[in-house]
Amino acid sequence: MANRQGRGTAAGFVLFSLVIVLLLASRSYRHWVEFGPQRQVSTVNPKMGVHTRLTDEVEPWKIQRTLEMVREMGAPWIVEYFLWAAHEPARGVYDWSHADLVVDHAVNQGLTVIARLGYVPEWARPPRSNHLYLDEAGYDDFARFAAAFAEHFRGRVRYVIIWNEPNLSQEWGFRPVDPAGYTAMLRQVYPAVKAANPEMQVLAGALAPTLAPPGSEWGMDDLVYLQRMYDAGAAPYFDILSVHAYGWTFSPDAPASSDAVNFRRVELQRAIMLRNGDAAKHLMITEGGWNDHPRWTKAVRPAQRIEYTVRAYEIARNEWPWVDALCMWAFRYPRPAATYQDYYTFVGVDFQPKPIYEEVQKYAAGVKVGLP
Amino acid sequence: MRLLQKVRRLSVHRLAFWLILGGVVIVAASFVTRSALLGRDRTWARIAESGVWRVGIDPSFPPFENLDPATGRPAGFDVDLAEAIARRWGVRVEFVGVGFDQLLDAVAAYRVDSAISALPVMPHRTREVRFSDPYIEAGMVLVTPLQSPLVAALEASGRGDPVAGAAVALAGRRLAVEWGSEGDALARRMQSQAPGGLQLVLRDSAESTLGAVVAGEADAAIVDAISLALFNRGGKRLAAVGQPLRSDPYAIIVPVGAPDLLARVNETLIALRADGALEQIKAQWLEAGAP
Repeated sequence: MANRQGRGTAAGFVLFSLVIVLLLASRSYRHWVEFGPQRQVSTVNPKMGVHTRLTDEVEPWKIQRTLEMVREMGAPWIVEYFLWAAHEPARGVYDWSHADLVVDHAVNQGLTVIARLGYVPEWARPPRSNHLYLDEAGYDDFARFAAAFAEHFRGRVRYVIIWNEPNLSQEWGFRPVDPAGYTAMLRQVYPAVKAANPEMQVLAGALAPTLAPPGSEWGMDDLVYLQRMYDAGAAPYFDILSVHAYGWTFSPDAPASSDAVNFRRVELQRAIMLRNGDAAKHLMITEGGWNDHPRWTKAVRPAQRIEYTVRAYEIARNEWPWVDALCMWAFRYPRPAATYQDYYTFVGVDFQPKPIYEEVQKYAAGVKVGLP
Repeated sequence: MRLLQKVRRLSVHRLAFWLILGGVVIVAASFVTRSALLGRDRTWARIAESGVWRVGIDPSFPPFENLDPATGRPAGFDVDLAEAIARRWGVRVEFVGVGFDQLLDAVAAYRVDSAISALPVMPHRTREVRFSDPYIEAGMVLVTPLQSPLVAALEASGRGDPVAGAAVALAGRRLAVEWGSEGDALARRMQSQAPGGLQLVLRDSAESTLGAVVAGEADAAIVDAISLALFNRGGKRLAAVGQPLRSDPYAIIVPVGAPDLLARVNETLIALRADGALEQIKAQWLEAGAP
């Protein structure tokens, strides 16, 4: 009898332990990584930033390690993409679990997050349409999502980018691009965000540098597009202009020209802002940089990529007081793209730092970088 | 219920007999089906029938493939290799220009029969396409002068982890690399592993990196095998020592559903290697004896 009772107690204990283990395992995955003490970025250039790629990074330790390495490199800014479709899977139903994980780790590392919002959920667009398709009927839904984001991340995120590269047809749901349509989106999103969180700074544009000729089915020249945004009355509906600044094969000191895509094309965007009486506003470069793929025709040699990257950070710091942040594409990919895209990164998929990471890190520490 | 009653009525021996027989029938049926499916390589059948092998190529990477300025036609190592293979099959090659980043997708979508364009083996893409046996090694190699006293130590060091072994053998030496390159990344790893350190000699190109070894400014260098072969074509005599520090073999890409084509590509590569034809192509565009 006592034996049977003992066996019953043991079985009960095993069952109880199993339930506890299952309960622990079912808790939010964020608790499996310790946050650690609050960190600060040490750098000589407070405008240095990178675009991270944590949207589809699943493992919390990899999110944390990525952001640690950004801090250790000396970059205080990150741009990260937050998918509307992932965070509002059904109208009015929000899931911030992954976004919280990314933002909280970034804040813990002392990084400032610029949140790029986009990627339309199926419920907010017509059947069989592209995930970047959002017509005017959906702007209200997007505005509510952006406002919910601003509200949820109050005190943790201070910058949101509304959409990405709307001057490319591909990014506009494979429709003809439409500066007035994008301005209409801003007109709806901006007041909603401000009502939810007045501190949130709204970035517009994130324009892709392109020389697309008039009438091109692929996109619109970014300079033309920006002017048409102003013509459509966009000025009151953004606080900061977001731009992309890729250097392709040109040095960062190659002069700006309306018929060239190079790093200093940003100066032409700035000139358009001045012409439209928007001098008080600043710019943020939320993508940019150089690629060192051995055979891509728009790539440079690895040594040039290091030199150009460091020089670009210097230009942003010393020559462009109207630029608040320069965020290079892209810090690390969660998995190899197996294309030239892999040669934009600073860190391998396995977290091995590339030489460019170590050289930029030296620069941020105040060490002179260059060939002897 | 009725089935259960029937099973109960069966003796153990009869049950075992029927189970074994059923198993044999299932295995035989699956074997026959599989053989029939494998035998249906439509890509190979079409190449054999039409006499045309459509090969995707991005002619922007000399000496492997480029457009000959005189003729406007593709020329290079991969072009010669494709034509050598096609000759053995008695077919004609039709080169199709495809951007480098789209080559694998073009094969996977059967837009071309194969791709030969200095494409490395990518293990994570093997569900979408098939890779032939490698035809050349383009990975990162450690380079020294032919008569260097380091050769023996480096050859002996490459048995385990080649990077760690080379780090030990090169401790205290000068190692030239192209600044920012993959060779530089490897050298930085070695630097942290070399007892007593390792002095990096940084240069701005693969050619000037190898030039540093020739000039006696460095004891060894890390470059990719192709840069070494091209450098040696200019009359220099530097040697790759030991195993590649990181292997990067180039292969021919074929669709997943083309097992016959893949088998024939591999058979022909063996034949080209055996009779010296592959070596001739290497000598023509790179250097005889390139790995």
